[in-house]
Amino acid sequence: MRILLVEDDPLVSDAIVRGLATAGYVVDAVTDAESVQSRLDTTHYDLAIVDLGLPGEDGFTLVRRLRREGSSLPLLIVTARDGLDDRVNALDLGADDYLVKPFALPELAARCRALIRRATAATANEMVVGQLRIDLAGRRAIDNGGRVLELTRREWSILECLAHHSGRVVSKERLIQAIVSWDEEISGNAIEVHVSRLRAKLGEAATVRGIRGLGYRLDDA
Amino acid sequence: MMHSAQNPPIESAPRRARSIRGRLFAYLLLPLVLLLVASIWADHKTYVTPLYDAFDRALSHMAVAIAGHLDRGPDGQLHLEKPDFGPPPLHPPHAGPPPDDILNDHDKPPGPFGAHGGPFWRRLFPGARESFLYRVSLPDGRTVLGDEGLPIPPGSNADDFSYGDATYKQLVLRVASYRTQVEGQPVIISVGETVHRRNHAVQRLDTIIGISDGIQLLLVLGLGLFGITVALRPINRLRERITQRQPQSLQPLPLEPVPSEVRPLVQSLNTLLVTVRDAAQAQQHFLTNAAHQLRTPLTGLKAQLEVLASETHDHAQQERIARLYGSVDRLAHTANQLLALARAEPSANSPGDFTRVQLEALIGTVADAMLDRTIARNIDLGAECAPVPVRGVHWLLHELLINLVDNAIRHTPDGGRVTLRCGLHDGAPYLEVEDSGPGIPPPERERVRQRFYRAAGSDGQSSGLGLAIVEEIARSHHARFEILDALEGSGARMRVTFPAGVAQ
Repeated sequence: MRILLVEDDPLVSDAIVRGLATAGYVVDAVTDAESVQSRLDTTHYDLAIVDLGLPGEDGFTLVRRLRREGSSLPLLIVTARDGLDDRVNALDLGADDYLVKPFALPELAARCRALIRRATAATANEMVVGQLRIDLAGRRAIDNGGRVLELTRREWSILECLAHHSGRVVSKERLIQAIVSWDEEISGNAIEVHVSRLRAKLGEAATVRGIRGLGYRLDDA
Repeated sequence: MMHSAQNPPIESAPRRARSIRGRLFAYLLLPLVLLLVASIWADHKTYVTPLYDAFDRALSHMAVAIAGHLDRGPDGQLHLEKPDFGPPPLHPPHAGPPPDDILNDHDKPPGPFGAHGGPFWRRLFPGARESFLYRVSLPDGRTVLGDEGLPIPPGSNADDFSYGDATYKQLVLRVASYRTQVEGQPVIISVGETVHRRNHAVQRLDTIIGISDGIQLLLVLGLGLFGITVALRPINRLRERITQRQPQSLQPLPLEPVPSEVRPLVQSLNTLLVTVRDAAQAQQHFLTNAAHQLRTPLTGLKAQLEVLASETHDHAQQERIARLYGSVDRLAHTANQLLALARAEPSANSPGDFTRVQLEALIGTVADAMLDRTIARNIDLGAECAPVPVRGVHWLLHELLINLVDNAIRHTPDGGRVTLRCGLHDGAPYLEVEDSGPGIPPPERERVRQRFYRAAGSDGQSSGLGLAIVEEIARSHHARFEILDALEGSGARMRVTFPAGVAQ
């Protein structure tokens, strides 16, 4: 996995390159928006991390330009500004996620992983969560031993929904919407039953964490 | 007043300028009233002289009439030729007993005659009693006919009228004298009448003029009042427009319906508003720059330390790096909170930033962001939410809840429990965070809201700003921030209650 980093501060840039390298990513760093195009022309990237406060052309303009040119490259915005307007603006322009400085490297790595996973799901119809490989086209989940998990229709729907938002809390209501059609009715208790069965089938491959009063979260392990 | 013992009321009350309405009354209506009173007096003066002249002329006609009926008899004495001359000119023809009765009867004392019971007089001057006296005398003072004692106003030549006031037999009289010659004999004919009639005439005129001028006065006052009210209406409208504005609004006031006199005032106000808005924008700009300049190097430091820690295998060094990382983290946290505090000030936010915010969605977002920290410390982070909207600045409420949850997590031991709640209590939306920490004793509860206050035995990681931020943001939303006991266990329960029914 190759990541393009657009960040003008050498200290930050250097730390991100090293930190993401330990997480298994190859990171190319540039210091301004003008150098982005030549890199994109010659190399395939799975993700770009863009600082908003760049000298010259700023991050907003770069994101807008890339999206206007039809690029589908996943974009993670990193900024020292935390105003809601900036966040909304960046996401409206076509950025995929937004991280406010100062952040911890594991958090950055987790965001990168989630974004790349989402992009892969869209192109390769496949997602990897922890030890679990989720084949979206074949509607099956394969664990690290290569064993296909035997899931009911509803258990699969729950896993698919959680995987699409892995690392984020998915509310019970949203899960209910994901697994039932209009005319069916299902209670919160029924969801709990389905989830506990799914949890048993996943074993060590991935964790479905129940968050009291909020929902469920699929974690790597 | 309750505090008057400590704070005596200020001696010199602030000088309050009188209202424009009051000034208009004082400077416009008061002089008008005085003017009208003066005009009543002037009117009185204007008609009273001609009226008296007319009465005098009528009196002199009487004298002339008497002269026309005088005649020198064969004895050389003057006597009245014809007894039945007409009634006094101002008397209606049929009023009272005919005057010649009295004129003929010289032996009787001259009694009052005249205006008794005449319907005209009765109607005009109900209490009028008119007395009429006459005297025909010679220039040497001898009286030929009539009342001997009737005083004669001094006069000079023949064919001359003279008038005078006199008191005779306790009657206040107006006397007219006519000097003429009857068949070569110079005579003075004096006629006197009491002043009741003319006084009544003047009184009546005074009454009529007084009533009409009084009505005029009332009309002027009413019109003036109406005019002042109508004229002041644009100013009242302007005042309403200003008082109805949101207190944080820095929008300029519209100049359109403002009268030209007040326009410069509104323009100055708008200039001031623009200045304040520019200052607020400059402050925001500064804060944005400060945030950038602070956060970027802190991010670099933190990330570099993390990399360094992962690259080192020496335990002693890792420990030192961890301590260093902790300090940088704390510095970053403090910087963040200072920025948040500065941006939470009411002046930094315009009413346009206030939108409808769903509290349960806010709890979802914040819980999601804090989950990794609680999972790492095996804290059970949960929520009990009922969907409820409030009106607020989204990122400020986000900041408020982040600080409440951050504070709760800091004070909760590993394996503890933090619960986020929202809903309606007595119609008022509330947001609540409860922890299973040691709680805050009631005497401490006020102090922990102060900036940089840190409770005894706190972990050294806290900046002491978290609850001050909550307090500030709650205040800017007109919400109430309370620290309560946990529903179960010993912990603290922080509750923010929003004003009821303001979210549309």
